[in-house]
Amino acid sequence: MRVKKDTLLAGLLISPSVIAIGVFVYGFIGWSLRVSLSKWQGLIPNYAWNGAATYASLTHDPRFHIDVRNTLIFTAFFLTGAILIGFFLAILLDQRIPGEAVFRSIYLFPMAISFIVTGVAWRWLMNPATGTRQSGLNLLFQKLGLGFLANNWHTTAPPWGIAFIAIPAVWQLSGFMMALFLAGVRGVSDDLREAARVDGASEFQVYRNVVLPLLRPVALSAIIILGHISLKVFDLIVAISGKDIRLDVPSIYMWTATFDANNFALGATIGMLLLAGVAFLVVPYLVYSLRGEPEV
Amino acid sequence: MALFYLLPVYVLVITGLKSFAEVDLATMWKLPSGLHFDNFIAAWDALRPNLRNSVVMSVPAALLSSLLGSLNGYVLSKWRFRGANLIFVLFLFGMFIPYQSILIPLVLFLQRIHLYGSLNGLVLTHVVYGIPITTLIFRNYYATIPTDVLEAARIDGAGILRTYWHIILQVSAPAFAVVLIWQFTSIWNEFLFAIILTRPDQWPVTVALNNLAGSEIVQWNVQMAGALLAALPTLLVYIFLGRFFLRGLMAGALKG
Amino acid sequence: MRVAGIAFEEVSKVFPDGTEAVRELDLQINDGEFMVFVGPSGCGKTTALRMVAGLEEITRGDIRIGDRVVSDVPPKDRDVAMVFQNYALYPHMSVYDNMAFALKLRKEPKSEIDRRVKKAAKILGLDELLGRKPKALSGGQRQRVAMGRAIVREPQAFLMDEPLSNLDAKLRVQMRTEIAKIQSDLGVTTIYVTHDQTEAMTMGDRVAVLRKGLLQQVDTPESLYEHPVNLFVGGFIGSPAMNVVEAGLARSNGGLVAEFGSHRLDIDSEVLGARPGLRAFEGKRVILGIRPEDMEDATLTPDAPQARRLSAVVDLREALGSEVLVYLQLDVPQVITEDIKELAADTNAEEVPEEPAERSVLVARLDPRTRAKKGEPIELLVETKRLHFFDPATGLGIYGDGSSPS
Repeated sequence: MRVKKDTLLAGLLISPSVIAIGVFVYGFIGWSLRVSLSKWQGLIPNYAWNGAATYASLTHDPRFHIDVRNTLIFTAFFLTGAILIGFFLAILLDQRIPGEAVFRSIYLFPMAISFIVTGVAWRWLMNPATGTRQSGLNLLFQKLGLGFLANNWHTTAPPWGIAFIAIPAVWQLSGFMMALFLAGVRGVSDDLREAARVDGASEFQVYRNVVLPLLRPVALSAIIILGHISLKVFDLIVAISGKDIRLDVPSIYMWTATFDANNFALGATIGMLLLAGVAFLVVPYLVYSLRGEPEV
Repeated sequence: MALFYLLPVYVLVITGLKSFAEVDLATMWKLPSGLHFDNFIAAWDALRPNLRNSVVMSVPAALLSSLLGSLNGYVLSKWRFRGANLIFVLFLFGMFIPYQSILIPLVLFLQRIHLYGSLNGLVLTHVVYGIPITTLIFRNYYATIPTDVLEAARIDGAGILRTYWHIILQVSAPAFAVVLIWQFTSIWNEFLFAIILTRPDQWPVTVALNNLAGSEIVQWNVQMAGALLAALPTLLVYIFLGRFFLRGLMAGALKG
Repeated sequence: MRVAGIAFEEVSKVFPDGTEAVRELDLQINDGEFMVFVGPSGCGKTTALRMVAGLEEITRGDIRIGDRVVSDVPPKDRDVAMVFQNYALYPHMSVYDNMAFALKLRKEPKSEIDRRVKKAAKILGLDELLGRKPKALSGGQRQRVAMGRAIVREPQAFLMDEPLSNLDAKLRVQMRTEIAKIQSDLGVTTIYVTHDQTEAMTMGDRVAVLRKGLLQQVDTPESLYEHPVNLFVGGFIGSPAMNVVEAGLARSNGGLVAEFGSHRLDIDSEVLGARPGLRAFEGKRVILGIRPEDMEDATLTPDAPQARRLSAVVDLREALGSEVLVYLQLDVPQVITEDIKELAADTNAEEVPEEPAERSVLVARLDPRTRAKKGEPIELLVETKRLHFFDPATGLGIYGDGSSPS
């Protein structure tokens, strides 16, 4: 084989990144895995073998149960809200109303700010105080004559408190979903839609029978992206409710377990479980979407 | 339609209102009687060092990760060798992992090389974990450069490095815009690494804000002003350079 | 300018997926020669060119430029210049910089660069455009810049990969002559790849016909036309393509006669003299080739012998001004061989059916004065001295003792 100097140089150019990713992603995952299988609890590293004991302990761990429940509820509301709203906004904008670019910018701007900022703002909006100390949305509802809508928001008794946190999350991500769906909808060539119209379909039918089916890959992308964000949600909840155990999620548990309680084995275990959840979602998706890629 | 439109704008306006006036909770929804900047000054005093930290950290991190992404994207899109595709896939997966799964080793590692707690450690972290997304964006962008232009350069006598410098880099401006803006925004807004990897005097603004907002003694209107200040840089970037931001966003989503 | 010949020594290229793109190509190109590689898509001509450039690795064999074996030498050290099909101009550089780039890389002095660029620009008529960027140029202009880039290099060889195929027809004809003139003025050895046989015939000193990676024949355009080595070359060169029918050879009056359907054509002694191999096919079947231009309306030459006439009904008539093409149906089954299928596929003709049709179509190029009319019978005079014969079993032309002359 005639090896070319350029191919070697190419390899050299990319090797720092390859090494970096190799170590920082895959190496560290392996290391975390090792910690999760150890007995390390405390400031002194302790790699004594513990097998899957920590994993097993989580199944009886009430806090972890809360985490899982919260994640499920949050995910359900978050995904549904963001996708539905994003989709409707996309359809709306697809009508080519004047000022489309302005609307699009407005719906998208939340993506440019941090979850912390969002959390801080929404925390006050969702202020649960009632009566004379009312404020935030509760106060607004009162003033608009919608007083019956006032409620305890995220401080609602579990398990539904976490569902309210989905509101700022939806607010932040629905613009992104809108952009995704809009790109998808716009990707359906006009020819197809015109053919359907000539065939006698109403606008609604055009959407339902022509556009919608072609959006399945986009919808899939949306679900995967939101799903993995949902599993990892951390910033938002910390900003709104700090370490409130009623609104605990796996990422927060991992944080407190590792850095407050110094229970490294437990922290690593939760990290591994989070990874497994994300991998379950993302790996099939990557495989499926890369199948169409031609070889480099 | 109008309702949806109201939602985001109104919330922003509300935040702004709260920040300007010295009103208190009960009259929260009323428009301010005048423009008062006291809250902003107070917030600025509280957050100034942290804003500085964020700048000192985000800009180099964005620049470095973009440069690496460009080099990687070039090699992966134009140089065929065994395993190029595999490397790309492995990078991609790195984009999705929950950072909790590498947090402990990361902390231990940074401690060992004495970068734990400092902004440099945070920069290193962001550069490394930014490699997947920057590589993805550049690779997809470079794939649109016709291969025969590069072959012409080869025949004209340019090797891999000179081709990069004279040809690829010269046409990379749009991609750099997208990547730099995306990286700057992501890194500025990031919280998890920020809170875990820095000492309080090195806190970026996201951590400081969270602290400010959680405190009992700080007035809520100052907190709101603080939130706006923290969001201002990325918001400005978004307002003026929004279309690049959107492209970065879409690149991550529609991977192909 | 030190020019050099190019030699392919048993060169083969096999791609990683197993495709044999070029098979044992053995060919010598002379100093200053304009060599055209022609053939249908996928025949390996572009791959062969890219191997000379160093853009494709050689699997087996060697390529020499001048006396030097360049098989392992990287492109930049081979001293060849290439003109790409899509021009491959550097989009961010001006025309001047595009042409100067290679010289700058080699650190030539600025005055020298300037001299060469200006000189090439003059030859190509690009003087006014030196400051423009590619996107501000028309297709024809871009093509010239691509050529300019090559000329400026003053290389040992020019390699051109279908440079005219993206231009419209009129421009193509114009550029053809320009390129040929430039090449002959500069005297640089050139390999020119095209799928258009007209370009090949008009531009090449010699033409190499390739098919599925194998060299079929390399010869001057005239020889390829007059003495095609096989049915493929015969059908590929010449437009409209040669008509082929299966005919039986029978003895007649001391000579041979070809019979197909209800038609008979005398094969006179001159033909037999040039193709002694035909005798071996007496009483057997051959594939008979008649070029459209070797037939004429018999009414225009009333005293021609009967033995050279062919009668049929006109199916279609196309008046081109300079000539008239008539399509006739012959009551002879179609000839279908591998060669013919490939030729049809390449010209995007209709699907050649697996089962031969009952009737063949004959195309004839007639003088515009012809009175041929659609639906009416016509008598054609065949120039039997210019008939072609091929062995139905192998497709090879029948010449000496059944093998090709070149």
